Amino acid sequence: MSFPSHAVMSCCPPDQQRARMRIITPSSPRACSSHLNTFTTGLGSQLYTEAAPGAVAKRFISSVSGESALPSNLRLPPNLIGVAPQKRASPSGSDLPVLRRCEADIPAHLAPAQTWLESLGSRDSEPLGVVDLHPDVFSVPLRLDILHAVEVWQRNFKRISHAKVKSRAEVSGGGRKPWNQKGSGRARHGSIRSPLWRGGGVAHGPRGPSSYYYMLPMKVRVQGLKIALTAKLAQDYLHIVDSLEIPTPDPHYLLDLVKHRQWGDSILIVDVGDEFPQNILKATEDMKTVNIIPAIGLNVHSMLKHESLVLTLEAVKFLEKKLLWHDVRYVPLYPFKLPYSDLP
Amino acid sequence: MSVFGGVFRQSSARLFSTGTCARTRMHAVPKLRELDRWTEKRGVFGVYDNIGILGDFKAHPKDLIRGPVWLRGFSGNELQRLIRKKRMVGGRMLTEDKHSLDKRISFLYRRFNRYGKHR
Repeated sequence: MSFPSHAVMSCCPPDQQRARMRIITPSSPRACSSHLNTFTTGLGSQLYTEAAPGAVAKRFISSVSGESALPSNLRLPPNLIGVAPQKRASPSGSDLPVLRRCEADIPAHLAPAQTWLESLGSRDSEPLGVVDLHPDVFSVPLRLDILHAVEVWQRNFKRISHAKVKSRAEVSGGGRKPWNQKGSGRARHGSIRSPLWRGGGVAHGPRGPSSYYYMLPMKVRVQGLKIALTAKLAQDYLHIVDSLEIPTPDPHYLLDLVKHRQWGDSILIVDVGDEFPQNILKATEDMKTVNIIPAIGLNVHSMLKHESLVLTLEAVKFLEKKLLWHDVRYVPLYPFKLPYSDLP
Repeated sequence: MSVFGGVFRQSSARLFSTGTCARTRMHAVPKLRELDRWTEKRGVFGVYDNIGILGDFKAHPKDLIRGPVWLRGFSGNELQRLIRKKRMVGGRMLTEDKHSLDKRISFLYRRFNRYGKHR
């Protein structure tokens, strides 16, 4: 069963502005007179709300005329502090040139997905151009069940549980019958280490290191990657960058750039190859929420954990090549790690 | 009545509670454990899990698993795990552990293959 392609976005259509607001409660409870304060003081210092005031207002205009048409739980207090991320203009209507076309052939009934090509060189640099992305990798139907299955697989297949308890045979002692079967007046027992006894073995406890290993079919894992990339692009969390050269190894430069461009709280930077520019390596060394990985290390869990994904052009080319091959390959007669004459 | 009041007033929720509903006492709720979600381990969890499909199949994700030798890339019930352990590391186990392993294997063999509905 396949989900509709915009199931994720049904609650927030793309043409509305997404406002991510932060309510900061003042230290003294009497200072803020907003009615929302009564809910936030018990919940810690910050509360996030997401609202799309314009469209929600349109939907909730009631027939009863009042001062404002929004219901009370959706009305934003006037003292709200927050930055609404600017929605970027769609690249399809811009004058900038298309700097990268897809290498692979695109089916005739599909159009390539387009996004901006940006640069990390300076904080205020404009987008350099537009990039074409293959629709079979970046515009697949959003199967959330596959995404869930791949994420659960990633969590569990590596898991080895070392829980172990001793059974009645392994606990020391308990070979002798404690008292005669008949005559003593006490209940009959055969050993002092049976599960009934205090200090005895456990009857059905966890036994030994056990593994939770299993593999999902290869195409399911590939599809999970494609769906994650599609979701990032559709939710405006994907950024393509020409290269990872930054002017200084200072982490504050990167943080400032990320904050200025409103990329989010956590960034995953992906590039091909094992060598990265020294500056960006030094900058991200001590940063917890900005992580840089090679393209071989891309996976669904990391993409879901980090808010924003930054890919270089080479990484896009590499990913498209690797992920599109599974749509046209034959069934393996023997594992792919053994040599095939037509595979590189 | 209170619904219409909410529509017409600017901020409709009361600043006090009249205490009629939800008499739930929250005095013994344990505090949530403070966890750092961005430690080194949690930040890069899952990296290289797709090393097969993205890395030319030179390695398999089961090579990433860190654990006992007889459990890497293997899953089975207790008897299967113990038999595999005996074959792989039985030669270098300590005497008492080996003895317990043998006893456990023969007990499980008899239990699975002789008693009960599934034999």
